[in-house]
Amino acid sequence: MSHRSLSVALLLAASGAMAQTPGPRPPSTDSVGRLAAPGAVQSRERVTARDNDLLVKAIEGRMRCTCGCNLDVFTCRTTDFTCTTSPAMHRLVLARLDSALTPDQVVAAFEAQYGQAVLMAPPKRGFNWAAYLMPFAGLGAGLVVLGLVMRRWVRARPKPSPEPAGEAAGATAQELERLRRELERIES
Amino acid sequence: MTDLGNIALWIALLIGVWGSAVAFLGGRRGRSDLARSAERAAYVVWGLLLVATAGLLKALLTHDFNVEYVASYTSRNLPVWYTWSAFYAGQKGSLLLWAVVVATFGAAALLVNRGRHRELMPYVAGVVLVVVSFFVAVMLFAANPFERLGFTPPDGNGLNPQLQNPGMTIHPPMLYLGYTSITIPFAFAVAALISGRLDTGWLHAIRKWTLLSWLFLSAGVVLGMWWAYVELGWGGYWAWDPVENASLLPWLTMTAFLHSVMIQEKRGMLKRWNVGLVIGSFLLSIFGTFITRSGVISSVHSFTQSRVGYFFLIFLVLSAAVAFALLAYRWPRLEAESKLESVASREAAFLFNNLIFIVIAFSVLWGTLFPILSEWLRGTKVTVGPPFFNQVNVPLGLLLLLLTGIGPLIAWRRASPANLRRQFLAPALATLVVAAALVAIRMSDGWAIVAYALGAFVTATVAQEFVRGTGARHRLHREPYPLALVRLVGRNRRRYGGYVVHLGMVMLFAGFAGLAFKSDTEATLKPGQSVEVRSPYGHTYRITHQGVSQYERLNRFVSAASVDVFRDGRYLGVMKSEKRQHTDSFGRPTFEPSTEVAIRSDVREDLYIVYAGSVQGTEEAVYRITVNPLVWWVWYGGVVLVLGALITMWPGGGGPTPASLRRVEPAGYVAQVA
Repeated sequence: MSHRSLSVALLLAASGAMAQTPGPRPPSTDSVGRLAAPGAVQSRERVTARDNDLLVKAIEGRMRCTCGCNLDVFTCRTTDFTCTTSPAMHRLVLARLDSALTPDQVVAAFEAQYGQAVLMAPPKRGFNWAAYLMPFAGLGAGLVVLGLVMRRWVRARPKPSPEPAGEAAGATAQELERLRRELERIES
Repeated sequence: MTDLGNIALWIALLIGVWGSAVAFLGGRRGRSDLARSAERAAYVVWGLLLVATAGLLKALLTHDFNVEYVASYTSRNLPVWYTWSAFYAGQKGSLLLWAVVVATFGAAALLVNRGRHRELMPYVAGVVLVVVSFFVAVMLFAANPFERLGFTPPDGNGLNPQLQNPGMTIHPPMLYLGYTSITIPFAFAVAALISGRLDTGWLHAIRKWTLLSWLFLSAGVVLGMWWAYVELGWGGYWAWDPVENASLLPWLTMTAFLHSVMIQEKRGMLKRWNVGLVIGSFLLSIFGTFITRSGVISSVHSFTQSRVGYFFLIFLVLSAAVAFALLAYRWPRLEAESKLESVASREAAFLFNNLIFIVIAFSVLWGTLFPILSEWLRGTKVTVGPPFFNQVNVPLGLLLLLLTGIGPLIAWRRASPANLRRQFLAPALATLVVAAALVAIRMSDGWAIVAYALGAFVTATVAQEFVRGTGARHRLHREPYPLALVRLVGRNRRRYGGYVVHLGMVMLFAGFAGLAFKSDTEATLKPGQSVEVRSPYGHTYRITHQGVSQYERLNRFVSAASVDVFRDGRYLGVMKSEKRQHTDSFGRPTFEPSTEVAIRSDVREDLYIVYAGSVQGTEEAVYRITVNPLVWWVWYGGVVLVLGALITMWPGGGGPTPASLRRVEPAGYVAQVA
């Protein structure tokens, strides 16, 4: 590491932007080298098997992190490594699952705590049904309007010409050749 | 130079207001001298905005930190490439970019049409100048990029690390080009409404502009997705964020217009609808700008909340009122020239296609605004996130995909059973075969099966068109097949370019459907330790942590975590994810550490590795490993989409159809006086 790099590292280590203040080295990391500038990297806790639990991920995917990032709890805690809210919400999910709550009850407990805004989608009840139904109501209304307009148009269209449809079948070779040239001209 | 830029803005405002006034007056009274004065005003405003742009660029490149904007978004050690992107990284600079791009497009439109559409051009100049003057006024009265500080700091704040990415140097300009170029079709639509020249002439004038605008919007949206994917580190590319939605809305209405305009050109129908779509697209582009800048809806992409939003809201309401009032005034004269002959026709398919586009646009807008509505009506805050948008838009999107296959193949006017059988038998068989194959291999997601089956349907319809067209040319002209294919596309670029765009859409849908099989795994690894991850294709990835190295690079301090990657025991290579601590020229940290993702991409799936951090400041690293199937198809789908649009736009082919040309009325009195 160059002189300048080292000074940057030291500055980083001393700055307020530090993710952590390194304490005494715990025995579990004895075999692992320390980083020259630990403050340049966010400090993380070890991943446990439950962090990868599909049920936990599914629950966290239904809830919004309240830090203001607009992400769900799982995405935030595995993406925005400066956020302290989503890891806390994750721990609360685990604690609530440990207290024998079902996934729906866990989500309901968060809703009771933070309000509906904690859910990634409005719960399907009351006024919120408007959110889900309006697009399909719009589609239905559009189809009805389109159907009526089309029916009116189709009824109002001019009568087809009385010439028999199979007339072209009797065309001469010259006529067909001329038709081919015309079609080609229009195509091009 | 910054003072000159500021002065240029003030003069541009004065000339812009003058020009727009004389433009409408000149058009109304048939005064060619006033009309020419307005056009000259548009060129002068464009020149003045170029001077202002040069002023801001010089301030950025010379680190004039006395200018507040320069101090806020750059630092001395910011690479020059990103100093350029600082031009539009903030509210004030991006407003200048908007203004200069609209002025450039406006000047180009006036130049291209200097001998044509003389009855329309004064009003076109007027509308362009109103829009440009509005942006200049917003800058001068609310967000001046040349505002000076009371002191000169030794260094600036620097650019947000997430914006220091190649994607951000291209994606925002592309979106701006897309948004701003909609002004030209809007200006022609308003000009047609005011002047009463409501034949297809104005449509011919805007054809290339609408395609250009659509091209920029498409490229901007896809590049934005790519930037989000490679830079934000959450493993996805579309989060249904309000700002993302705002960029999608005009794209949807423009795409609807590009389809429905064909019916007007061919059959003289849907005139009101088409004018409405152009007006709606412009208003949605302004709405997107309002959303991004007002702070009315929280978004990760928003600029700082400011009073600029009020200006946009007022402009939005006024523009909508004037444009729709004009449409209402001309309503009786926009009667369709012919009627629909059958529901089984291309016209009907395009009508359904338009309906779906508009319903999707409505659902996106509705979902974006619902939190405001809920809080306003009930006082209850709600979040409308991806689960809602996916639930509503996936079925609608698949319906659209189905119509993508039906529309181009079904006959105009009336499709006979024989026509339907001839066109759709093979594609329907392809759909069934693919659906059966996916069910047989036990694909778990129903929507994905439908998406791939419909993708096969559209691909088969497009392939059938190419095969038949090439075969016909081969037989008629005895051309070799490759030459026949090239000439087939070259002779009818509009049609075959459109097919290529449809193939791009299929690729995009294939990529979107792949998200159903995404998987995430977190792991803590000491150097030498490994974790195994299963891909949905059944492969096993083994990822072995090598260690973390730290070093200084340009304007940042880098901590790079490296892993060896094996797939089914075969070594694939080293992947490196980074933490970057950006610093200013004094070595002081400027932002929170940011993440650089390691991505290994192939046609099947992406391996996406994020170095999340370290345990207690050691080399024991925490990783998030995502297996993301078919992401490649999204990016290359975007490339194919753009390629198709370029084929359609390429000069020399695909001009107005003979049917459309027949619908142009002879030029009126202004043509003689101009």
